[in-house]
Amino acid sequence: MNSPVFQVFDELLRSPRAVAERSRAGGDLRSLFVAALSALVLGAGVFGATLATSRGGLQLLYSGVKLPLSMVATLLLVVPAFHAIAAGLGRPLSFSGMIGLTLAAAGRGAVVLVALSPLVWLSFDRGLAYHPGVLLAAACYALAGLAALDLVLRGVGFDARGFVIVSLFAGVLLTTGGQAAWMLRPFLGRPSETSVPFFRQRESSFWDAVQQSSLSSLGIYRVTRALSDAGGRRIPSQPNPSGPRLENSDEPR
Amino acid sequence: MEQSFPTIVSAAQPSLGARLTSSETHSAGQEFARLGAGLGLAALYGLALGARSGGVALIQHALGASAGLFAVGVLGIPALFVLLALVNAPVSPGAMLSAGARSLASAGFVLAGLAPSAALLAVTIESPDAAAFVTRAGLTLAGGIGLFQLTSSVRAMLKELPPAPRLKCNVLLFGFSLFAIMLAARVWYTLPILKGGA
Repeated sequence: MNSPVFQVFDELLRSPRAVAERSRAGGDLRSLFVAALSALVLGAGVFGATLATSRGGLQLLYSGVKLPLSMVATLLLVVPAFHAIAAGLGRPLSFSGMIGLTLAAAGRGAVVLVALSPLVWLSFDRGLAYHPGVLLAAACYALAGLAALDLVLRGVGFDARGFVIVSLFAGVLLTTGGQAAWMLRPFLGRPSETSVPFFRQRESSFWDAVQQSSLSSLGIYRVTRALSDAGGRRIPSQPNPSGPRLENSDEPR
Repeated sequence: MEQSFPTIVSAAQPSLGARLTSSETHSAGQEFARLGAGLGLAALYGLALGARSGGVALIQHALGASAGLFAVGVLGIPALFVLLALVNAPVSPGAMLSAGARSLASAGFVLAGLAPSAALLAVTIESPDAAAFVTRAGLTLAGGIGLFQLTSSVRAMLKELPPAPRLKCNVLLFGFSLFAIMLAARVWYTLPILKGGA
């Protein structure tokens, strides 16, 4: 098969430098767009469905649809920021080149997610619990993100300034992508939930959850207003369901 | 009869970002246009923040986001020019105008680029503290890039100076940077989203 789309697909994996240079040069980027977008939608779909194997049923379909959706939505939101940061720090690229570069990077990351899917599936099949499962998924995202950022770095220049641009962009990407994915939860599905919702009810934000989890990991627990109203009485180690509750006792994942 | 077809020359047009952040010096009118474009683009970020409460907050935030850059442009950059001239730095009003326009346009362009992400975050984040943090991060990023552009442009003008006067200029530039940060922060902190409102 010699279609230009398949050639680009192969390049995405083997030669990120060539893909980055093609994006930088501009010109006809149709084959790059098609190959990268296909890789993104299929790759993220497969990985999303794999995450949902811990729960099965309707969650497979929901996660298979929502993960690509969150990645595409994130890309739409962050490409202007990437374009502006690169231009502001003296590395202006054409907007279409920037879209090509970002899309190619996301496609590459999604292909890495596909490669990690069998491991994730096997882990859930062997009985991996919900919380370690969340950590495994986060580790997979981190690996895929590194593969994607490698391509982006080659696009803006493999030097100190390029590194600064990519780091700032990664900060914007993480914040925006985290919140976009947070709004489209659940991807794994809480074990305690009896039904499978397409969207979970709006609960705080990605940022709040990160802050709360960080505090919890240090052994610092915030208390709800109900508890402070109770006059700061000592919290029992096994809280009574009808009594005051730790704010993060039902921490959303 | 021989028919001739116009030849399409694919001269690559520089992108808006490249034009706004270009180090080339233009006429005063073009520089003011670049500055105005930067301020207008910064207002997009303000609009995105104002979407958290809508209504009048949209206008308040749009004006506030641009006002921080405008204050630095009006109060800071002319003062920097005067101080640099006092130590005989080889800077001209035109070159300073160009450097200022470039830096404010860069900051405004970055704020505009962040606007889509800011809109999502401002609308969907529940906690006022988290919304304020995200807002501050965006303003810091854009302001930092603008300041980087300005100091790079001014330092490029000082290349030929002997070490002693160049040191004086660098000290002035450092002092200006601190002043610009404090001034922009003073103006931006009037944004309702940073005061826990909106």
